[in-house]
Amino acid sequence: MRIGSFTKSYAGRTVLEMPEFTLDGGMIYGVISANGSGKSTLAKVLAGAEPPDGGTPVPEGVRIGYLPQKSYAFRMSVQANICLASGDQGKAMDRMRALGIEHLARRRADRLSGGETARMAAARVMMRPCDLLILDEPTASMDMQSTALTERLIQDFRRETGCAVLLITHSLGQAGRLADRILFLSRGRLAEEGEREQVLRRPKHPDTREFLDFCGV
Amino acid sequence: MQTALEKALELILSGDAQLKNILAVTARMSLSSSFLALLAGVPLGIWLGACRFRGRGALVILNRTLMGMPPVVCGLLFYLLFSGVGPFRGLRLLFTVRIMVLAQVVLITPLVTGSMESYVSGIAGAVRETAAGLGLSGGRTFLLLVNECRYPICSAYLLAFARAIAEVGAVSMVGGAIAWKTNVMTTAIMQYTNRGDFSLGIALGLILLGLSLLVNTLISLVQRGLSR
Repeated sequence: MRIGSFTKSYAGRTVLEMPEFTLDGGMIYGVISANGSGKSTLAKVLAGAEPPDGGTPVPEGVRIGYLPQKSYAFRMSVQANICLASGDQGKAMDRMRALGIEHLARRRADRLSGGETARMAAARVMMRPCDLLILDEPTASMDMQSTALTERLIQDFRRETGCAVLLITHSLGQAGRLADRILFLSRGRLAEEGEREQVLRRPKHPDTREFLDFCGV
Repeated sequence: MQTALEKALELILSGDAQLKNILAVTARMSLSSSFLALLAGVPLGIWLGACRFRGRGALVILNRTLMGMPPVVCGLLFYLLFSGVGPFRGLRLLFTVRIMVLAQVVLITPLVTGSMESYVSGIAGAVRETAAGLGLSGGRTFLLLVNECRYPICSAYLLAFARAIAEVGAVSMVGGAIAWKTNVMTTAIMQYTNRGDFSLGIALGLILLGLSLLVNTLISLVQRGLSR
């Protein structure tokens, strides 16, 4: 899938300038950077939640699943929330079991804790097959066990559907565990893109090196 | 004072005909105006809260200005429009319950709109983003948004009803507080107090306070539902 080049500005200030790049089906792309480098903006633009300054970065007809950083829990049961995109009750139960929230099925979603809401949202976005799954910090508010379950579900979903996954994360550990390739953003630009091992062990761009050195990698 | 209070209770308990008429006119006016304000204000509020378009900010400011419109100004406006020199004199609506309802709708609709706009603008972005991420259509997203507004709609209705039932400036100007026809609780309290007939005024005041207590209790319950 070829993603066209685009820019995104707010109030006349360009916050993201992306060149053309390719996302292959069945691969997980970890997006890492320091805060305020445009990771969430990248996710929003690709998901269609925010318009770019011009053009259509994602080709027409590509089915996108998007898990925003702050996912909304609708005022209905957890099961009803999960079934919003697909009414398949059996699949919904499978997803809930995979994330350890099957006991919450009948509970009102808007009364869940932050971690439970994040798990419900992860289960919900992986109900519908898609070509590109964009996950914006899906495990940021989860404990270690829930994080492990969610990571396993992401990998299963990728295998099941053959979709490309764009995983935005602050955790280098998570990027190391899940990502096949890494995109490193710096000051609103794609500084480096490559194989996980290459980017994390032998970064080419000075900004990536500086970031990883600072993180103690 | 004590005698007036005793007489007031006696009037309430005996089901005084005049008191019953005032209550009936008040109920007809308040229920109609608050319902019509809800019909107009809820879609307008959801639209203003959920959509982003050029001029939205100006409309929000205009609505906030109308929220603070003095009732007597509204009454004066309607009086001029429907009196013998106004463009709508032919409709012969002045000093009827209908025009009292109309004036109240103009007064109350901005309150409903403002209350809905404030709630919806707080959740619309997250709802839209989440729904888009799930591949839901625009129509489905709108229905989900409306579903999220159930409690705020109830709350806005109660707010509108409370304002309608307690309003005096506009209804006295356009209704004329005519006994057995357009006299409502608030105008009657003023009228009877001016005449020195405190018992009926106190009786009406007690009922009004009771209703206010009931409405505020309901609003608290709805807000408790809202606070999750």
